[in-house]
Amino acid sequence: MNLLVQTLVAGLLLGGVYALIAVGLNLIFGVVKIINFAHGELVMIAMYATFWMWTAWSLSPYISIFIITPLMFGFGVLLQRFILQPMQNSSPTIKIFVTLGLSVLLQNLALVLFGGQYRSTTFPWAEQNFSVLGVTATYGRITAFLVAIALVIALFYLMKKTLTGKVLRALAEDRETAGLIGIPVKKYYLVAMGLGTAMAAIAGVLIGPFQSVFPLAGAHFTLLAFVVVVLGGLGNMAGSLIGGLFLGAVETLAGTYIDPALQQVAVFAVFIIVLLVRPQGIFGGSARNAEVGLK
Amino acid sequence: MKKKSLIWTLGLVAAAGLVPVFTSDQYILHVCVMILIYVGVTVAWNILAFGGILSLGHAAFFGIGSYTVAILYVKMDVNPWLGILAAMVTAALGSLLLAVPLLRLRGPFFALATLAFAESLRLIAIYAVPLTNGSVGITTPPTQGFALISFSSREPYYYIVLAMALIAIGISIWIYYSKMGYHLRASASDDEAVRALGVRTPRLKLAALVISAALTGAFGAFAAMYLFVIDPETNFSTPLYSIQPALNGIIGGMGTVAGPIVGAIVMTPLGEWLRTTFSGTTQGLNFVIYGVALIIIVRVMPGGIVSGMKKLYRRFRPENRSDGTAPDASGPIQPEQELANSEGGRS
Amino acid sequence: MTNATILKVEGVSKRFGGVQAVSDVSLTLQHGEIVGLIGANGAGKTSFFNLISGMHYPDAGSVAFAGGDITRLDPASRARRGIGRTFQVVRPFTGMTVAENVMVPLLVNDSSVRRARLRAMELLDELSIADLAKKPAEGLTLAQRKRVEVARALATGPKLLLLDEVLAGLNSREVIDVLPFIKKVRDRGVSILMIEHLVSAVMEVSDRMMVLDRGSVLVHGLPADVVSDPRVIAAYLGEED
Repeated sequence: MNLLVQTLVAGLLLGGVYALIAVGLNLIFGVVKIINFAHGELVMIAMYATFWMWTAWSLSPYISIFIITPLMFGFGVLLQRFILQPMQNSSPTIKIFVTLGLSVLLQNLALVLFGGQYRSTTFPWAEQNFSVLGVTATYGRITAFLVAIALVIALFYLMKKTLTGKVLRALAEDRETAGLIGIPVKKYYLVAMGLGTAMAAIAGVLIGPFQSVFPLAGAHFTLLAFVVVVLGGLGNMAGSLIGGLFLGAVETLAGTYIDPALQQVAVFAVFIIVLLVRPQGIFGGSARNAEVGLK
Repeated sequence: MKKKSLIWTLGLVAAAGLVPVFTSDQYILHVCVMILIYVGVTVAWNILAFGGILSLGHAAFFGIGSYTVAILYVKMDVNPWLGILAAMVTAALGSLLLAVPLLRLRGPFFALATLAFAESLRLIAIYAVPLTNGSVGITTPPTQGFALISFSSREPYYYIVLAMALIAIGISIWIYYSKMGYHLRASASDDEAVRALGVRTPRLKLAALVISAALTGAFGAFAAMYLFVIDPETNFSTPLYSIQPALNGIIGGMGTVAGPIVGAIVMTPLGEWLRTTFSGTTQGLNFVIYGVALIIIVRVMPGGIVSGMKKLYRRFRPENRSDGTAPDASGPIQPEQELANSEGGRS
Repeated sequence: MTNATILKVEGVSKRFGGVQAVSDVSLTLQHGEIVGLIGANGAGKTSFFNLISGMHYPDAGSVAFAGGDITRLDPASRARRGIGRTFQVVRPFTGMTVAENVMVPLLVNDSSVRRARLRAMELLDELSIADLAKKPAEGLTLAQRKRVEVARALATGPKLLLLDEVLAGLNSREVIDVLPFIKKVRDRGVSILMIEHLVSAVMEVSDRMMVLDRGSVLVHGLPADVVSDPRVIAAYLGEED
């Protein structure tokens, strides 16, 4: 019983970070209408940045996050401006292949630059245990969870209350009309891509202290984030949050009770089962689910 | 098929058949065998593309095929020829696991689901040690003979895979010009409109998936016998057998009959060259170049080589424009149409 | 339900998110009848069509066709039973010729591509657009596309044809050309339900007319009575589009 509770807590803590990654993907797909196959690689880049800043300059992840996040926001803007924007009117297949090419490129660039070995950011404070009611978690994981959840809620607030958020939502709903009423569409695409990339980057920094980074570390996050977006609903931030927590729990439970090697298989199996029994996703009826194919 | 293209086809087949007569260089023959394996897998992949369906998970069917023939042969002493047939069945059955995403998810989301599916199978192959020997993989016994699909030189392999590729191409042409092909092509353009005309698209797409998977399984099985080492990282490899066939198809011309063949013939030697030239120096550098090439090529030639050549041909032979030939026969499928329809117009 | 009744829609409603698109609409269509459906943009006309053709299922109410209940039947099965439709935004199959577009429905019940090609040519000839047969569908003018769309729907061999704004975007000469054609289709024994904005044109061919307003039936009756109804005039003048 204690093992179950312990596992669930660990899963939910990790799930918070997944939610953050998924929210970024959701934002990018919703607004820019591009499925970014390289989304996980953005996480991977941030993980490497965290590792090197810690190793080379002894910069704690909780400080380097303030350097990495704006840099990655800029990286996202550049990606949008110079790679994604020029093919805004291409067919979906072309868009897929360009982002897929980007993913292959980034993975192998990491391999060329850093080699294939696993690298861990060993930041002592993050590895200390915190216990309450017999359940234990490291400070690193708790911090990651709290920051991720806070950011998801902050984005939720941004989308609902601020002008930028309202414009982004308008773009997600109807690009043409938004353009017609004078919204500088391209500029807001840059913002969306920058924000989505920054979210992925923050997630990467946060998990740095407890997950090793290697060139293929990001691929898994792309798949996870995509499953979360499908299950939680397109444009549905609350859906992404709950979907992220849910998949974190599924993955950790599978790791504990089946085999760590099969975590990803479990995620995929759950995904298929949910599509089968709740074809409209976890929340159903989202008006924009048709874009995913769910109705 | 028109007379002219029939003559062309026969000429190409004859030329392909004569390759081992002109060269006995085993490396060239190896590259030719790999080309034909890729022709087969890409043609199989393309059957889904007729219907505008993008799979990034054909490594799943390839791997299932490889493991089926290997496990049956090594552990149960089943003849590999029968094994190839069994591989087609298991790959087809395996593809049914993708039925739900196929019918529920649109474009890029289905592509991601197929990617996840192939990755899951790779992990299972690593995990299921009693059946697959895990990461170590399975090695087929060295006993030679036609009955065991095992030879000391590459010529026999070449002829076997050439025959298999021709059968796959034949099936693909037959589908394209049959009722199924018309319905798939219409569905690629507008799934909702084609349903409103009475076409049962779920059944149609499932059929395409199953045929595509079975053919891919056969080539996976042949590759297992040809390379005689079967392991999860190779036979379920996403870059090698999921992305590469899709890339061949897109470069050649997705959803056309000739496109995947041209794509595989052009891209396989290129991949081999990149691998041998750059992989020795720095690990991964060949894939970096590959990634950059991928981004550039699909941007420069969005319709693929075949439609690009057609455009060139038409530009220089304007009198051919009004000869009544429909440019559709191998015109590219335009999936943007589908997305455009999905984004709006549902009042 | 009498023998002559081809379509009987009873009290259907459909809600999308916060919008009540169709609310308690009933309609009966007799064999060989043409009914015109009018209403402002967003009045629920196309949504109502979608409930009949099976693109969407109603939240409440029922749809019966040719004596059988089809409320929960999928679009393909409805098409096979004899409901053909066109789309408001015409949707020719791109990458295919006009003849091939028409072959798609013909191949539903007959696997012979050769026969389908011959019948497609016959049909195009009948509709006087045989000259378009070998043209790629994406290169046509709007008027041509609309005709191809109708040809394609007719190729399903429908008992009921749902026409969604086939006149919209045509110039007045083209409209005058199409109207007798619609009557000709009816004379072949096909019942027609048509959505149009062009009231004068619908009046000319319809046996009856129904006006939808914000998802509900506003008026339903003979064309002359409908267009002189003050509520219809108010609705149309109030919401000019």
